Amino acid sequence: MTKILYANDLTACFSLWRKEGMRVLGPVSKAKTSGFGEVQDAHELDLNLVLTARTLKELFFPRTEPMFSYSIGKQKIETGEFLPSENACIIFGARPCDAAGMAIDDELFNWDYRDEYWFRRRDRSVIITIACKESDDFCMCTSLGLAPDSAKGSDVLLRPLASGNGWRVEELTPKGGKALQPIASLLKEGSEAAAPTAEVPLLFDLEACTTWLADPENFESHFWKEISERCIGCGTCTYLCPTCHCFDIQDEGDTYEGIRRKNWDSCSFQLFTMHTSGHNPRATQSARWRQRIMHKFNYFSDKFSVNSCTGCGRCTRECPVDMGVRETLQAISTLQK
Amino acid sequence: MSIQEQYRSRAKELLREGTVKMVIGYGAGTTPLRRRPIFITSPDDADRLVLDAACRTNLAGYLLREGLLADQKSVAVFLTPDGVRTINILAAESQLATEQVIVLGFQIDGENARQLEGTRVADFSGIIAERKKKRKEQPSHEVARKLEQMTSVERFSFWEGEFSRCIKCYACRAACPMCWCRRCVVDNNQPQWVNTSSHTLGNLEWNLVRAFHLAGRCVECGNCSEACPVNIPLHLLNRRMTEEVLTAFDYYPGADEHQEPVLASFRKDDPETFIL
Repeated sequence: MTKILYANDLTACFSLWRKEGMRVLGPVSKAKTSGFGEVQDAHELDLNLVLTARTLKELFFPRTEPMFSYSIGKQKIETGEFLPSENACIIFGARPCDAAGMAIDDELFNWDYRDEYWFRRRDRSVIITIACKESDDFCMCTSLGLAPDSAKGSDVLLRPLASGNGWRVEELTPKGGKALQPIASLLKEGSEAAAPTAEVPLLFDLEACTTWLADPENFESHFWKEISERCIGCGTCTYLCPTCHCFDIQDEGDTYEGIRRKNWDSCSFQLFTMHTSGHNPRATQSARWRQRIMHKFNYFSDKFSVNSCTGCGRCTRECPVDMGVRETLQAISTLQK
Repeated sequence: MSIQEQYRSRAKELLREGTVKMVIGYGAGTTPLRRRPIFITSPDDADRLVLDAACRTNLAGYLLREGLLADQKSVAVFLTPDGVRTINILAAESQLATEQVIVLGFQIDGENARQLEGTRVADFSGIIAERKKKRKEQPSHEVARKLEQMTSVERFSFWEGEFSRCIKCYACRAACPMCWCRRCVVDNNQPQWVNTSSHTLGNLEWNLVRAFHLAGRCVECGNCSEACPVNIPLHLLNRRMTEEVLTAFDYYPGADEHQEPVLASFRKDDPETFIL
């Protein structure tokens, strides 16, 4: 026997959570894109999506956010802080790859200092993930050591019932357990079978790839130019990546009044590493693409013992010129043989 | 012989003869419905070229890759008539010399790719003149017509809504063959002309600055809207500008390589005295 949450009870769950002062967010398709947004009713959710176009990270690391403001008057200087103060929230219907991405970025944002912007939001949110029973041509979680029902980064894991009427509920963390308390009356004991999880084919040998990447001989390989020749240098892959976390600090205003903001930034951009002198250590697009791959599968793993890719496939899915992590690692896999 | 076969053998020949050093075309993509830009430099690789109705990207922008045309050698590129217009504009704007461009012309008609006769951009002037005529008669896009009927306040809020999705990935700029500035205005930070933040003002500034910059230059290839990961209908802005320029100046960008840029040229006898 296990706990079952029936889809018919979902809206009632949302009400109970709201009564506890929590906001409820989930995957929504709106205005020609999809991402995570606040919902009142279960019908607003788009749970049939394999994956939202935009990732979970936006909830913790918005594309732009104010850090502080300043104004200099004749008598005094005033400053204002903008630490996140949103109410606690339940994120219902994340996918395992996205949830895993948040756990990976926790390492980064808690490394040389604790990023309060990230953790204030992370600490006040509960991720309820739904295992995938479907995948698409771009999914590659299994190649990254994850699975369509990975628990990493989630507080509760839901397995869709074979009947399609609801989910088997697996509590994963104390935070998840606490979030289930207010809706305990709606969780029924049952033994209904779960639907099989999606079959996501293995696309490359990750270990072979990381070994190749770790070899300094390959840093200047022709491979990089060939694999990234068509890259147009936009930020799509990085901005739609659940783990890409680079940001830029921008001051908007003038000497007397202004605001400092934290904005997404991308290693794909020429300006990303441009020095004040005009020298650019990553002068070519291939050097920038190499950086993205090396960061994910070499530098990040060196530091945190985990690769910063969860195999969501968005980089390839959304690339205007059909590039992505998938093609690059597949190609490296082949180089090995 | 299918059009794909014909073009493969033509590409092979061009490379074998040494007429071109590279063929820029389309290859198979990650999924059966996807095509991706490929760069062929050896005749043996020409069989990787694909040509069918799924080949939609305007490839002309790749010719401006740093150093590609610096050695005076020629490059062949798969181009639709709008792609040819792109080359004309780039030539008029002194970004390349048309002598270095061999056109592998094609057009998508419904489900099929059709061959277009010609080798040099000048060979396509008849087709382009036809397109201009058709463009003049073409009714505005349905959404564009709705936009025209709105009040300026409604129209502003429509665009504010569309731009609110913008994540400032600059895929529109990167995909646009007309965005060839070495340093884009938004990347200038001394002073910072355009807000880089992806908030309401920053998004409006960026998207409108880009639309203005493309007025009288856009060939309506659709690269920007295709590239936009949040599906902002950028083409509506550019189409509107195209219609404006067509009506006001009878100007269709990219008619030939000597056509002067409509918003960057003047005549001494212009009736508007403020110009001189």
